[in-house]
Amino acid sequence: MSANINIKKTNRFIDPALYIAFGATGFVFLGLIASAFFGKVLFSRNVRVAEQEVVKIEALKLEPQLVGALRIDAKASIPNNHGVVYEIQLLDKQGKLIASATKNAWRESGIWYEDGESGTWNEDDLDAGLDVRAKKGEEVTVAISVLEYENLSGGKARSLTTFSVDDVIGNQANKPKATTNSVNFDVKITNGVVDGRHLWPGLFGTSALAIMTFIAAPRSGKKVISKTINDSDPSERATLGGADKLVRVRINVTSDETSPRSMQARLVINDSYGEQVYSKTIPLNLTFHREEGKLEKVTGFAQQFFILETQDSYGFHVEVTPDAPVDETTLTVLDGSHTRIPVEAVHIS
Amino acid sequence: MLTKVFAGIAVLMALWSVTDAYTQKSAFVLREEKQANFSPRRGTSLSGSYGSNGTWIFVPTRSTYSGFQGGGPGSGK
Repeated sequence: MSANINIKKTNRFIDPALYIAFGATGFVFLGLIASAFFGKVLFSRNVRVAEQEVVKIEALKLEPQLVGALRIDAKASIPNNHGVVYEIQLLDKQGKLIASATKNAWRESGIWYEDGESGTWNEDDLDAGLDVRAKKGEEVTVAISVLEYENLSGGKARSLTTFSVDDVIGNQANKPKATTNSVNFDVKITNGVVDGRHLWPGLFGTSALAIMTFIAAPRSGKKVISKTINDSDPSERATLGGADKLVRVRINVTSDETSPRSMQARLVINDSYGEQVYSKTIPLNLTFHREEGKLEKVTGFAQQFFILETQDSYGFHVEVTPDAPVDETTLTVLDGSHTRIPVEAVHIS
Repeated sequence: MLTKVFAGIAVLMALWSVTDAYTQKSAFVLREEKQANFSPRRGTSLSGSYGSNGTWIFVPTRSTYSGFQGGGPGSGK
């Protein structure tokens, strides 16, 4: 029986799971990019709210929608070492409260001393936000309410004053009143906003799975031969192959400090009658492991892909040369393996 | 086989996270008694809930704040 051998590059065995897993990551990434373009700003202004007061901001129609929700964001502007408890409220057409969400906002700073060094620190938490969805169309009014406003260092709470052009030219009527404490809020109302909080875990999760798929792809297939011997010539027989299966043969060698600069492995494949169908000497890819400049050991690796047209019993023989420094040789054969990239495969028919 | 499992989970995870984000699963649902999926943004938590007749009832703790939890050493009131 004479074997017909030809070598060709093939992408037939690239694992389709790689495309799917990386595609899933790409899909979430696109979702993240696209989410930035959703949302229409309905209102963005500075609003002044006095303590114990409710200020209606904007009346709008809330409709059930397929994508996104109404997002109300507010940021309090308060002096240093002050705290404000404020609420985002939703009122119905009659002015009745139908939803409220509270934020404890604060701004503090001070001086720290440590080991003879000192500096200032500055911290705040002033942002509030509420996303709202409606099950049926409804007219709602967004309002901001200040429940509590205080000076955290114990004194009387101060208001941050704002001056308009009228103040500068001396219009008394527009001067901020000193008697009631009020807080300025930057309020922004956007409709159709996508909740990005769900996309980040999705992006990390799918990326992790794509990497796992990438790692697992070349390890796929049925391990029909896995033989390790403390010598240079492992040999084993197994039933494998078939026109649509990629056979991956791996040779791993460990050798001692007397190893030369280059080593080879002769790989021989015999058919079920013991007749040789393939023989090739493959150079080993060597890694020199040194410890404090001294050569400790050398590891070598070679890999070869085959498409064995007929499924049958095949014998695999490896001979590493030179064999004197070889401590251990492992022969691994994976049947029905997959690849990440197109590979050169030896087609034997 | 293992790669197919990983890829399958990745696809499910992608669909799940994109669906939840675009349908705003964690948003407050107006007039919905049970806010099971609500997740507060920017530390802004609901200060009430819907009663059986659909009215908004403040939580009892709304007016009793335990003070501000500011950052930094030796701060606060």
